[in-house]
Amino acid sequence: MERLEVHGWTAPSSLQETPSLVLIDTTQLALERSISGAAQRHEALAANLANASTPGYRRVDVDFHGALAAALGTGDKSAVEHTAFTTQADASVGVTQADGNSIDVDNESAKLAANALEQQAAVSVLKARTAIMRSALGVA
Amino acid sequence: MSMFGGMEISGSALTAQRLRMNVTAENIANAETTKGADGNPYRRKEVTLQSVGQAGTFGSQLSRAMGSSGVAPGGVQASEITEDQTNGKLVYDPSHPDADEQGYIRMPNVDTVTEMVDLIDAQRAYEANVTAMSAAKQMFAKTLEILR
Repeated sequence: MERLEVHGWTAPSSLQETPSLVLIDTTQLALERSISGAAQRHEALAANLANASTPGYRRVDVDFHGALAAALGTGDKSAVEHTAFTTQADASVGVTQADGNSIDVDNESAKLAANALEQQAAVSVLKARTAIMRSALGVA
Repeated sequence: MSMFGGMEISGSALTAQRLRMNVTAENIANAETTKGADGNPYRRKEVTLQSVGQAGTFGSQLSRAMGSSGVAPGGVQASEITEDQTNGKLVYDPSHPDADEQGYIRMPNVDTVTEMVDLIDAQRAYEANVTAMSAAKQMFAKTLEILR
């Protein structure tokens, strides 16, 4: 491949490589998985709030960030595409109420609001990327 | 995982908290009832809540069989309504029709302050679950925007 030089500036090697034609790239797949993960996490956080006054209830959570980061770390596109998230009991939080319940309503509400915003942000980015793709394909 | 799972979970909590409110309202309404249908003074009622879908349900068994190690988050339900068996205080009022030979009336074991605290607790829990439900609604609406 010819070296890209403009007014003495040499493009970095990453730009020198011919990009392979990929319609759905790893980032797009990761965004799709993170939307799915946020939806699953919402269920867990909603269940925590629902059981805020259930004796003996222990909070559950979904670490979809960790699972997705691990999949992205492998650099394997298929690993990202097939990332599965598990809803698990959260052992890090101790009992906060006399009836053996470990739910802090304020904390759960904050997590729930943050998770909803995160999901909406991921959808916005995904939508913007799809719009670019549609524009390039001429199917606006 | 269903699309509306989050809303169903919050919905079950709204049902449970509304029942708690109703039972608390019944307790306050009967705070001075010295003779019920069974002839005894009114006894305060308590709702016991229980989480559903945590273990033993079809959904959780299925997800375990399909190789998922996690738990299926479930909603909440009222498992039972129990009567508080402690005795209410005795009040001396010989002219009262429900008074015994010594002139004492057994009052209901309802403490209005406790009931008000329970009522506020149920109300706040209800509001928290409404917020969770509206967050779920916003998330679904945003997801549907992808199609537009």
